[in-house]
Amino acid sequence: MTIHLAILRIAACLVPGGQRPEWLAEWRAELWYLRQRGNRQITVFCLGSFRDALWLRRNLPDVQPWLRLETPAQCLGFLGLAAVMCVLLASRFHAPQMPPLPIGQMLLFMPILAVGCLPALVATSSLRLGEYPANRYGWRWAFLVCKIALVLPIVPSSALVLAWIVGPWFGQCMFVECIIALRWALIDQRQRCPECLRLLDHPARIGQLSHTFLDSCGTEFACPKGHGLLYVPETSTISFRRTQRWQHLDRSWSGLFS
Amino acid sequence: MAAEPKLSHTAALILQAIHAGDGYGFSVMEMTGLPSGTVYPAMRRLERDGLIRSQWERQSIADREQRPPRKYYKLTRTGEATLEASERRYPLLAKLTAMEVDQS
Repeated sequence: MTIHLAILRIAACLVPGGQRPEWLAEWRAELWYLRQRGNRQITVFCLGSFRDALWLRRNLPDVQPWLRLETPAQCLGFLGLAAVMCVLLASRFHAPQMPPLPIGQMLLFMPILAVGCLPALVATSSLRLGEYPANRYGWRWAFLVCKIALVLPIVPSSALVLAWIVGPWFGQCMFVECIIALRWALIDQRQRCPECLRLLDHPARIGQLSHTFLDSCGTEFACPKGHGLLYVPETSTISFRRTQRWQHLDRSWSGLFS
Repeated sequence: MAAEPKLSHTAALILQAIHAGDGYGFSVMEMTGLPSGTVYPAMRRLERDGLIRSQWERQSIADREQRPPRKYYKLTRTGEATLEASERRYPLLAKLTAMEVDQS
């Protein structure tokens, strides 16, 4: 297997399962023709497959996440369990070159690390949580704080276990883990109903980006309990709304969701 | 009257290349000069929006010529109408891809 085919196979892992064989067949065929023509840009061509695969992963409506923590109790319960397991594992099985897990120091250090990660987080993800009516939905913030508080202990304890593999790169590993964890907490927060904190569902596309210049284009999600609709613009630069916006539905709409 | 659909310049260029060229991914890349990481996702989007449709070449034809079958893209009727509108909006579009065809 050549390096080019290996690149395509790795990229294929990002494509949703149902589309994968056809997607790989198309890229392999194009690769064959490129080789026949003696093209020198084959590696660059193959690396482009990652963008294509990511586009399919993000835009196909039938893709479901492997773990769906729908209710806030499920989410916090899972994070709590993961935090306890990671701390227990780290205290018993951490790499020999690492000191025993100092819980107190860790609790002090993690908020500092989280603040240190902010510039990298801003560079890799949007910090905007969307437009919601002011002075309402205070539970959202409490839920976000709880999530972050449960995610932060997972970072150093899992990094201590991973130190078996990453060795001297332990610090960098913990930094990257912290960015991923905070990014996940923000993305998860944007996907929840601000009233019941359940994950939103029933995505419906509005407009078509290929046809649109300054008009509305995005995806609308509905709360499974009928509390409202969340409009998420497809791109923040083109669409008429720059950030996601929550539309509250009063009780007169409840018949549609029962 | 229905609103005239609008395409970005890149999307219009790709649509024109599919119309004027051989209709497979690499030919679009050659005609437009765009990298694969731009062309393929754009073609998926155009296909999702119903402006183009894809079709695999028959296996028997490919077998006869001892090569893998290729996936070809064609404009739908909506795609043709959109391309016409885009050519009015971007007058250099047709000339640009015509030059590429002449060179190849």
